Amino acid sequence: MLNIAALSGKIQEAFGALDRHHLNGGQRLAVKYFAVAMILFLAQLLFGLLAAIQFVWPGFLFDLVDFSVNRMVHINAMVVWMLYGFIGSVYWFLEEESGTEIVGLKWGEIAFYVLTGAVVIVVLVYLLIQTGPGNDATRWLVNEGREYIEAPRWADIGIVTVMLVFFYNVAGTFAKGRWSGISGVLTLDLVALAGLYMAGMFYSTNVTVDQYWWWWVIHLWVEATWEVLVGCIMAWSLMKLIGARRRIVQTWLYIEVALMFGSGILGLGHHYFWIGTPDYWFTIGGFFSALEPVPLVAMVVHSIYDAGVHRFRSTNHPALGWIIAHTFGNFLGAGVWGFMHTLPQINLYTHGTQWSASHGHLSFFGAYATINIAFFYLAAQRWRGNVWMGGDLKDNGWKWKWSMILLNLGVMGMTVALLIAGYEQSFIERAVEGSTWGGYFAAQNQPWFVQAMLWRLVFGVVTLAGALLLTWDLLTIGAGETRLALVLEPEEELAAEPTVAVAK
Amino acid sequence: MNHTPLWASESFWKKVAIWVTAGSFVLLIVLTFDSMSKVQAGSRRVPAYSVINQKIDYRFDAQLNRYMPVIGGDEPLFDRPLSEAEAEALVTLGKKTTQAKNCINCHTILGNGAYYAPDLTKSWLDPNWIDAGNRENLMLAFLKNPPGNARTYGTGRRMPHLGITDEEARGVIAFLKWMSAIDTNGFPHNFKTLYAQEE
Amino acid sequence: MIRPVELHDFLLSFFASASIIVSGACYALLFAWARLAGRRAVLAWAYAAYALLAASVWLLAETAHFEGYWRVLTGAMLAGYFVAPRAVFRLCSATHAAEHDEQTRSAISRPSQENPP
Repeated sequence: MLNIAALSGKIQEAFGALDRHHLNGGQRLAVKYFAVAMILFLAQLLFGLLAAIQFVWPGFLFDLVDFSVNRMVHINAMVVWMLYGFIGSVYWFLEEESGTEIVGLKWGEIAFYVLTGAVVIVVLVYLLIQTGPGNDATRWLVNEGREYIEAPRWADIGIVTVMLVFFYNVAGTFAKGRWSGISGVLTLDLVALAGLYMAGMFYSTNVTVDQYWWWWVIHLWVEATWEVLVGCIMAWSLMKLIGARRRIVQTWLYIEVALMFGSGILGLGHHYFWIGTPDYWFTIGGFFSALEPVPLVAMVVHSIYDAGVHRFRSTNHPALGWIIAHTFGNFLGAGVWGFMHTLPQINLYTHGTQWSASHGHLSFFGAYATINIAFFYLAAQRWRGNVWMGGDLKDNGWKWKWSMILLNLGVMGMTVALLIAGYEQSFIERAVEGSTWGGYFAAQNQPWFVQAMLWRLVFGVVTLAGALLLTWDLLTIGAGETRLALVLEPEEELAAEPTVAVAK
Repeated sequence: MNHTPLWASESFWKKVAIWVTAGSFVLLIVLTFDSMSKVQAGSRRVPAYSVINQKIDYRFDAQLNRYMPVIGGDEPLFDRPLSEAEAEALVTLGKKTTQAKNCINCHTILGNGAYYAPDLTKSWLDPNWIDAGNRENLMLAFLKNPPGNARTYGTGRRMPHLGITDEEARGVIAFLKWMSAIDTNGFPHNFKTLYAQEE
Repeated sequence: MIRPVELHDFLLSFFASASIIVSGACYALLFAWARLAGRRAVLAWAYAAYALLAASVWLLAETAHFEGYWRVLTGAMLAGYFVAPRAVFRLCSATHAAEHDEQTRSAISRPSQENPP
């Protein structure tokens, strides 16, 4: 029998090894969140790979760990690692931004272990128990069976409780120290984040009502509150990374909130075309879908403005590189890929096909994975004692460069493969065959589809290789580096602004 | 040089951000109340659960220029007419079973879910069942033993054993039949039902 | 309410939508560059990108059978995507006007006090 106390001591010791005296209390906690985020990132890719293999060889792990399980763990791991990244990032800058110590750091520590323990239990139950009888107990204890928010109800309540502790730490610390534009937006956004999650915490037999509220959680998290949360993290990072000025950063954060929420909240309408809701959602969804590229246009103009007026100066090339990847990934994934299939005239055929998977892969990577990775590099720099991470690194920085190439190539490759599959599927299954089962399978057997799935698997392997290299790099970058990074301060010539703070 | 015009100032955009967010959210709440009143079970768009006692079809409506569910005469599920309460209980069991068995991580329901297996929105009407008279029995047998009754159409993809009981399977069938009667604004398009194939 | 895209127009419709976003971004990019560098030739290219955007919007409106309300949306897209980059550029210039104002210097980004011993 495992001695639980000894085990928890060992776990604490392992995380304790991550502590560094350069870090403040919040940052020590943040590093733990980042460590778990990276583990979950690798888990996301591993289970994604298993699911991709099953598309090519359906017999693989059949009746053992089926596609439904792999796909669920794949996406849940993604959602959770991104949340861990966001929470860690906020804890990272909380003390500096508020100018005081975190009010309930001890509670924050406990909440971290509780959340991580809960995540482990949920995943084990997903893998080992998988399903249950069609009653309420299954939904409370095993699996809620609603896409992306499958976590059983007990875990939902746990998540909300942990988020309340997090919220208390954020709001309380700013209240004790000082408020700023960033902290104000952040605090209100966290209220929305927790509140919206509760919209997904009830059962309804009426599947239309069920999906209506389910979209509140999914869309309003991903296309509204997460975006603004990332905007806050970016605003703070850009002051650190390139010495952007607070007044300008905060003005643009507000502009971003106005554009994001202005187009994103009612952009929810583009999910209400086909679930049984009234057809006025065509009008609303169509209009706000056409409005959603406007924040991207703003980002393009602002980037050019900054690049033209200022010279960039950075002591952390990997972080800056990932922020640039974020700009492009977000533009392509959310902008181009989103708009291509969002209007109801075409969505009638693309809805529920690999189109959505293609769009999902690129936009989640572009909008969120990139920004978390950028922040991991910022954290790694400080963790090593604020060492130099600009040009001419010891080994020429081959690890971060290659991991970035492999990850971007892998995700882009999967996206294009899925796009081809989705195009073929919307054509044959939806338009020609009218979405019957026969039509579905005719599309799945089409050589273009079959080959696309093979290419998706190949690029999935490339992505995993990139992530492994990334992990290695994050663990080693800056080790033995003696040159200190300059602390950037806004200056007349060099001040640069949040080029990408409006990136969504 | 140092004066920022009002329309570019931090305080101006702070107010804009607050008003835009609040305005959008209030509008969303109003629309939500309206939508909720229009999608309650028993409404024009989402039929009462007892619709499972009737024949359901899905036909092109030239006037609306889209496909629409067509509710016809009596065709009770398993030849047993149910009261509204009984029907709701059976559909509820089915809906809970689809959640407990994690159906949505292979299939799509109303087009939402995973893309490893076919959409279930109109599966009750799928021409694959060939004979409307024998459809319930085929569905029942399939749900209780999916690998044994697998039809993979050459893909090799089979539905695994999920331990669905007889009662649960009947619930799932009721849920699928009820769902096929929801007005989904014409999704899926061009779907030829099993009745259309019979003609 | 809507008339779906015809099967033979699928590719055109996807292409038109993608082209709207890409050419819209090109227009924004070239416009900002032309303004910053003060180069008329670049501005001409910016308007060429906008012409491409307008053609793409037209193509989408045709393939997706825009009528009634959707025609209004087409007009709104043409006007909105034309004006947005110009408005954002003005906003950039105006928000950065305060850049040289010492008062705005951030207190937070002063040199870190926690350099390791």
